[in-house]
Amino acid sequence: MSEALIRYEPVPETPCVAAGVTISLAGPMQRFALRARRAEDLETVLKVRLPRHIGASEAGIACLGPDEWYLRAEAGATVPTDSGLPVAITDVSERSICLVIEGPRAAEILMSGCPLDLDNFAVGRATRTIYETVEVIIIREAEDRFHVELWRSFGAWFWIAITNAASH
Amino acid sequence: MSGFRLETGGRVDRNQPVQFRFDGTSYQGLEGDTLASALLANGVMLFGRSFKYHRPRGILAAGSEEPNALVSVDRGPGRFTPNLRATGVEIHAGLNAVSQNRWPSLKADFGAINDRLGMFFPAGFYNKTFMWPRSFWDKVYEPAIRQMAGLGDAPTAEDPDHYASTYAHCDLLIVGAGPAGIDAALGSMDTNKRIILIDEQDELGGGALADPALWPWLERSHKALIDAPNVTILTRTTAFGYYHDNFIGAVQRLTDHLPKPGDGAREKLWRIRAGEVVLAQGAIERPLVFEGNDTPGVMLSSAAKIFATRYGVAVGKAVVLMAAHDSGWHDVFALAKAGVGIAAIIDVRERVDSALMQEAGRLGIAVHLNHSVMGVSGRHSVRAVQICNNDDYLARRIDCDAVLMAGGWTPSVHLWSHSKGSLKWRDDLGAYVPDQPNENVRCVGGCSGDWDFGNGAVIDVLPTPKDHSRIKAFVDFQNDVTAKDIKLAVREGFRSIEHIKRYTTNGMATDQGKTSNLNGLQIASSALDKPVPDIGLTSFRPPYTPQTFGALAGHAKGALFQPTRTTNIDSWADAHGAVFELVAQWRRARYFPKSGEDMHAAVNRECVAVRSSVGIFDASTLGKIEVVGPDAAEFLNRMYTNPWKALEPGRCRYGLLLKEDGFITDDGVSARLAPDRFHLTTTTGGAARVLNMMEDYLQTEWPDLDVWLTSTTEQYAVIALQGPNARKVLEPLVEGIDLSAEAFPHMAIREGMICGIPTRLFRVSFTGELGFEINVPTAYGRAVWERLMAQGAQYDITPYGTEAMHVLRAEKGFIIVGQDTDGTVTPFDAGLDWAVGKKKPDFVGKRSMARPDIVAPGRKQLVGLLTDDPNVVLEEGAQIVADPKQPVPMTMIGHVTSSYWSETLGRSIAFALVAGGHEMTGDTLHIPMPGKTHIAKVSGLVFYDPEGARLHV
Amino acid sequence: MILIHCPYCDEKRPEIEFANAGQAHIARPIDPSGESDADWETYLFIRANPRGRHHERWRHVHGCGRFFNAVRDTVTDKFETTYKAGEPRR
Repeated sequence: MSEALIRYEPVPETPCVAAGVTISLAGPMQRFALRARRAEDLETVLKVRLPRHIGASEAGIACLGPDEWYLRAEAGATVPTDSGLPVAITDVSERSICLVIEGPRAAEILMSGCPLDLDNFAVGRATRTIYETVEVIIIREAEDRFHVELWRSFGAWFWIAITNAASH
Repeated sequence: MSGFRLETGGRVDRNQPVQFRFDGTSYQGLEGDTLASALLANGVMLFGRSFKYHRPRGILAAGSEEPNALVSVDRGPGRFTPNLRATGVEIHAGLNAVSQNRWPSLKADFGAINDRLGMFFPAGFYNKTFMWPRSFWDKVYEPAIRQMAGLGDAPTAEDPDHYASTYAHCDLLIVGAGPAGIDAALGSMDTNKRIILIDEQDELGGGALADPALWPWLERSHKALIDAPNVTILTRTTAFGYYHDNFIGAVQRLTDHLPKPGDGAREKLWRIRAGEVVLAQGAIERPLVFEGNDTPGVMLSSAAKIFATRYGVAVGKAVVLMAAHDSGWHDVFALAKAGVGIAAIIDVRERVDSALMQEAGRLGIAVHLNHSVMGVSGRHSVRAVQICNNDDYLARRIDCDAVLMAGGWTPSVHLWSHSKGSLKWRDDLGAYVPDQPNENVRCVGGCSGDWDFGNGAVIDVLPTPKDHSRIKAFVDFQNDVTAKDIKLAVREGFRSIEHIKRYTTNGMATDQGKTSNLNGLQIASSALDKPVPDIGLTSFRPPYTPQTFGALAGHAKGALFQPTRTTNIDSWADAHGAVFELVAQWRRARYFPKSGEDMHAAVNRECVAVRSSVGIFDASTLGKIEVVGPDAAEFLNRMYTNPWKALEPGRCRYGLLLKEDGFITDDGVSARLAPDRFHLTTTTGGAARVLNMMEDYLQTEWPDLDVWLTSTTEQYAVIALQGPNARKVLEPLVEGIDLSAEAFPHMAIREGMICGIPTRLFRVSFTGELGFEINVPTAYGRAVWERLMAQGAQYDITPYGTEAMHVLRAEKGFIIVGQDTDGTVTPFDAGLDWAVGKKKPDFVGKRSMARPDIVAPGRKQLVGLLTDDPNVVLEEGAQIVADPKQPVPMTMIGHVTSSYWSETLGRSIAFALVAGGHEMTGDTLHIPMPGKTHIAKVSGLVFYDPEGARLHV
Repeated sequence: MILIHCPYCDEKRPEIEFANAGQAHIARPIDPSGESDADWETYLFIRANPRGRHHERWRHVHGCGRFFNAVRDTVTDKFETTYKAGEPRR
């Protein structure tokens, strides 16, 4: 085969640096949508522990709904997708990009378009929500660092919107 | 005293003169002035012309309730803002303001003839007069009325400013930073509550800004609040609306007060969710209703005090007070102490508090109790008042240059009313005050009726010996509504204030009747001889004051107007000259013109390339859903019209999706990857809708099924490679998949590698040619596309867009859901009954296919149309008739849904929905279009390669 | 923008995360082919439009993704309660 293919990303690979906040594209990672009626079935297949409360995240796995988890792992990690148990494991690694919003103004900048009260959004929490009209998953990685997962096609719009907000 | 600027006093900076312009004339004000105070200091009394009668108008108030002094501010191209209240415009160097609604000039206004003809403009004049003839409305009446009446000009140039917006959350939101609001903030400052304090003015203080005795307290309080980390202070910010669950909209003005607009946002929209709201919006003084009460120089008593004590400006040199309330007396005492000449105090009451009388005596002010102003001399400014005794109407004249009105106070319950809090009437105040809350909100200070302004009398119109039907005593200054208009409305039979309001337009101007509603209610109450609470109350609605569209739109303009979704390959298309169209939220390449080509030429070339060699198409926008779980096949069997359980892994099937009403809602080709895993595709626009519909059935109707749905639309970039040379282009790039016709037949799927990355490779065709749809992880879409372009160069591989895709599929008789169907088309209507599983006991929509109106004859059915003249391309949407000679309106039997020029066939082709169309093959139909009625024959849907020989190669 | 209590997330979330999904407690017949035309018409098209208390379905579409039931007052727009799909009518 010829040389490796180039990845094209929908946002600049150079971070946006503004007062009190930096917005940057996270590197490629593996992402899986995990679904099951019983968390135990997924735990058996994946050999990991799943958080049980909607909004909780542990070791890269966020509980987004009563039967839904979102697994993020470093690029190259493998996850079994076939199993004899009633579970659904779907590779969505390339469905989203992850923007890292970091700095003392991170929550404030995200609240420019996100209606949640991020002052009361504890470190480790994860949820699906909305930025203006675009669905996102936000994960509070640290007091001053959020990961925002959004579908790739919205990346260009979101980048302009969030960097505009950061520059104000 | 120089001009009208007092020697001392006020919060203006006397060391900071500011040059500005009003109506082309240069003036000097002081830092801290509003346009109103600066012009008053220069002796300017005339600010504008009224809405209907074009009467000269001056300043009525000092705050955002000002109805008269509306001006436009011009800050250069695109930065023209009409209808600003002069009392809220902060002056800055270079400010350029102009008056409105006058021609040719403010002093000599042609439209003032309306005032002389006033007897011809009673309430309801427009409704009564311009009814007939109807045809005159658009061309004659409306343009003439628009020229004569109205507010400032709408700006025409594009606004170069940008606007920020944000959500915010707090535990306590305080609206209004007067003493009551500040006290509320100070009282909660030491808790751990997040507090936001909002005020529309440029500094905190509200009424305290006009009371120098409170300034030391104000300064201390301001500092304490600024130092408190849990308090956010937003000045120049108007809370304009109060919505459900303590959601408050507010606009912060960031740059309008600055000499240069700068690079930052002009305004910022705050969408605030508050745990508790404290409304401290204060109260607004009521004007008194008497003839000439709109003459420039007649104003609210409290406004005169604000101009004197906050801005150091005298509103006159010989000022008369017309009072019905004690507060006016206190204002006048303050004015006298500030050095303003007081000509007299007139009070409509027979008796007032003796302390007031004593203070007036001490200050040497003449007092006339039980008297009323019955007329004002002067047109562009006050020269004198005529007053009369309320009992014997004995009249006298008092020379003066300003008249102050103290008619009592109206609590500002606007936001309270937005929140649906109830109101109760208080006879002693002549006003409504907040009663029961509907949200977690309370009112403090003036807006709750709690004030120390003293007492007053509540009256509708001041006593006068004149004929009430011949005088103009204004109630609503902005909409030019007089007391006699309201009485006329009552005489004409209107009983509810809601009707009186709409008939007279009282309170319907941009100020929403801040100064007029209560007077209007009192007058209607007297005319109807009913207590005020019995005639109803009009509703306040957002916005509290007018706001810019820019602030409400935020960044939603230009590139950010709405999220535009782009595929990974979009950047390649852009770089290669694609012309785009929007499909749902997606930006899709419509065609790829070569130099000199128009759309027609480009599309013809693209279509021929696909039929003769190979074309390449970005199909990434197709919706994709991964359906996984032991019950996946059972679920799809229930959702789709056709059978799914027997589909073998590695094979694809066309799926037709109905709504429960039996009508087609979506379609797409789906593949079985494994016994418990399917890869569904949907239409581009239907992706979200289909996923929602499937989730609905799964969660609420069949929750026992073990199957889960995941949107994978954006997991894969999809490249369609179509044409007789498609396999040759693909073969060298693919690993692990045998592409031969035998090993990989039409409607199959294989997983393997392409260019070193994994692919789900479909052998499917929406063109009728040998075709593949290459699914690759999205980030590699463009790179794989470029490899295919390089590999296909020897076959002159041709990128094609959505337009060619439409032509190619129409040649093959493939429908597009949403174009050839419209939500009333069944599978049978669309000729897709082959896709319906006859033996299946149930699927979504099956029962409806036996509904009486769906089995009835005469339904519109999808057919092909071939025009007699092969060069005529019918218009999509054109109506179809059977007999073109019938009289108009003709009976329309259907319409054209798709229509194209087919370069391959050398003629036009079309689809149409025609009543009973399936029985009309070969019949002649007529399609009236502009200029000519075209003739076409009904045909089948498949125009090209009906045997499908080109597919199976 | 109202706040809606999602019975799955067990917290109040902003309205724009939700989508209304029509009247609640209208179950799809077990055997549609056995329904008379009139009964099928009622199932498909006939809906309540009360002034006041209204049972309706919502979906926390931009949250946990679940459909649930709610009782909302159509006059005041206030939610009386929300509860999980499958739970008895309140």
